[in-house]
Amino acid sequence: MPDRASRRVVVTGLGAVSGLGLGTGALIEGIRQGRSGIGPAEQFDPTGFEHTLAGEVRGFDPAEHLHRTAPERWGRSGQLAAAAGRMAVADAGLDGPAALPDGGVSCFGTTNGESQAVEHAVARWVAEGPGALEPAQVGRTEPGNIASAVSAELGLTGEAVTFGTACAAGNYAIGYAYDLIRAGEADFAVCGGADASNRATHAGFHALGALAETVPRPFDEHRDGIVTAEGGAALVLEPLDEALRRGARIYAEVLGYGMTCDAKHMTNPNAATIAECVRIAHANAGVTPGDVDYICAHGTGTRANDVTEVGAVREVFGAALPPISSIKSMLGHTMGAAAAFGALVSCAALHEGFLPPSATLRTVDPALGEVDVVPGTARAAAPRVVQNHGFAFGGNNAVLLLGKVEA
Amino acid sequence: MTGSTLLAPAASARPAAREEGGAPAVAPVDILGHGVFSAAGFGPEAIAAAQSRPSAPAGAHGDAQDGVPAELPGEGWPELAVRPVTGFDPVAVLGRKGLSRLSRTDQLVMAACTLAADAVAAPAAQARTGLVLGTTVGSSGAQEVFFRDTFVQEYPYLVNPSAFPGTLMNSAAGKTAIRLGLTGVNATVSGGPLAALHALRYARTALVNGHADRLLAGGVEELSAASAWAWRQSGALHPAAALGEGCGIFVLERAGAAGAGRGVLGQLLACETGYADPVTEGPLGVAGRLAAVVRRALRRSGLPADEPVAVAPGAAARRGWSAVERRALRTALGAVPADRLVRTGALFGETYGASVALQLAAVLARWQSGAAAPGERAAVLTAVGPDGSVGAAVIARPDPR
Repeated sequence: MPDRASRRVVVTGLGAVSGLGLGTGALIEGIRQGRSGIGPAEQFDPTGFEHTLAGEVRGFDPAEHLHRTAPERWGRSGQLAAAAGRMAVADAGLDGPAALPDGGVSCFGTTNGESQAVEHAVARWVAEGPGALEPAQVGRTEPGNIASAVSAELGLTGEAVTFGTACAAGNYAIGYAYDLIRAGEADFAVCGGADASNRATHAGFHALGALAETVPRPFDEHRDGIVTAEGGAALVLEPLDEALRRGARIYAEVLGYGMTCDAKHMTNPNAATIAECVRIAHANAGVTPGDVDYICAHGTGTRANDVTEVGAVREVFGAALPPISSIKSMLGHTMGAAAAFGALVSCAALHEGFLPPSATLRTVDPALGEVDVVPGTARAAAPRVVQNHGFAFGGNNAVLLLGKVEA
Repeated sequence: MTGSTLLAPAASARPAAREEGGAPAVAPVDILGHGVFSAAGFGPEAIAAAQSRPSAPAGAHGDAQDGVPAELPGEGWPELAVRPVTGFDPVAVLGRKGLSRLSRTDQLVMAACTLAADAVAAPAAQARTGLVLGTTVGSSGAQEVFFRDTFVQEYPYLVNPSAFPGTLMNSAAGKTAIRLGLTGVNATVSGGPLAALHALRYARTALVNGHADRLLAGGVEELSAASAWAWRQSGALHPAAALGEGCGIFVLERAGAAGAGRGVLGQLLACETGYADPVTEGPLGVAGRLAAVVRRALRRSGLPADEPVAVAPGAAARRGWSAVERRALRTALGAVPADRLVRTGALFGETYGASVALQLAAVLARWQSGAAAPGERAAVLTAVGPDGSVGAAVIARPDPR
């Protein structure tokens, strides 16, 4: 057996519930066609909001997707994570009885935790007083249960940890799972991110003036903000040797990742620390800028993010900037799931051979300089190394590198 | 004290060869300093003094509103015994500027991190220094105000925009990074009573894998009217227990990174977690998983199964789970004599997201005050959550001088 301290780690299963549909197939098909997952908000009462669009998961009945655990034990974020996790395990060909390796870990990122459950609890408090809160309702508000919901659904017995590093959390979760498997701390991981559409998150971005009038237009000259969104994205990680042994389909190899903190401002992104994060990720993954064929951007569609993000990658890549696009143009901003969706779509891009589009782009912002943002629909290509960005309030930056594994 | 390895068998600079039939022995991590706020007061001396008292008061019962300090967030407290942090003067540590815009969680974490960082004389590169914080939800008080505003203001978006980042779990870690200029790894992990244990495990993994050279790691929990109501309505506390709060932050580096001659307060050895679904596997299943995790943690720390460790359980204040934890400890370690039991429930109250951090603080205080039992070389901290997450950390005691 090779040295457990330096095992290669691959992605062998993908699962997703998103505004583009239930399942990874619906998501990837929608991404390739540049479809929009955005519509009227239904997960909270939008009365009184000036902006009422959201990228919500429609027609999601958790009971149809969860086989082992009762949906009502968990908040919607946990349900979305568990459904995505169940799909990812099935996609990896590990859905049979006792098929999962021992000690599997669950690592999920989130921005708002179980904010929809908190919203429901506070609504009840406001209407009926705090004495009306019920124990089960209180139990559904714990953010840490997002990873546990996945473990309960899949019968995993290893670590179940939820990352609260806001909109970078998906990359934190995948990076940590990668470290655990690479170092021999675990042999199997389900990792990703989840968040549920809710009133407070929508109100927060509304009040910050960060919500788009209609759809988000990352990198566009007239971009005007984000659209709040939700979803669950899950990846199955295992050692390359084990994937080869069992003849699993390998989407991608996790090459490495890096993290930095801006330590400057809670909401304004900072190009220098993002650039440093990219450099750290490259060093950790053993790649150079010239190896990177595509960047799956954080790409929120706010004025500040997109110009800062492109500026930061220019610091690292110079004039040879690879194509960079934003799947938030289709999904909206899925918060704690966003970086995990980016990683998942990047895996599909490596495996199927395409570049995801910036679907809503009309005119590239001249302030960004010469940049290929893959406008419209997906482009056929054969990327070998892909870089996935996740940045967050709090100054949390995490960059993940994924690579193609040649057959 | 040399600052070198405390327990020679476990020591190895790299993830070591595999043990028979188990995961590899762990590389030790040094604990170089701390900043701790709890109901027992600030710092290890206050905790040691509280430990030496025959029995700490369990917290005032009755209408808690009378006894709730004004600085705690929220109004209309339920009848529930609470044990607020004492000896916490945020102005003294953080200054007045901007203090009113910080949640109690923000203040506790920023102050504890500032004091922990100051406790270590040797400088560290800011780009290689980071923060790993365990928390249940972040600031429950800040969240309650923000969510309430979406219902009670004229329009739902008439919330305070500058308060929005403060409602997120990573608020305290982000603000502390700004204050201390720390651009290295900055992580926030959730998980109720496992939160601070997750933080310690994440930190040791990040250090061993070279993502950082120094990490401030620990956990926080704030008392608020919202959290008190949640606990009151859930019925999860023992009738005799109080709801507490606190923050414990520890400065961690790879063992020996500080150089010979540097004092260490202890070493974080194995830090193991696992999961057993209480619905499908039952309380006994959870207890069994915790027992297995304790045994694995001892094995990976290079300690024999019959090592006479001190034990700091985490679930003593929670109905039902305290019995699960006791059963697991009995299974894994046999009967733990009273002089090796580090009781934290009565000292601090139920501190949930901060609990493992305060258990660690209590163990270090016990050792610093010379209260260790004869032959006591290490301590085991345990945690069990209502979701079925379980965990154990092994802390090695510095060589007696």
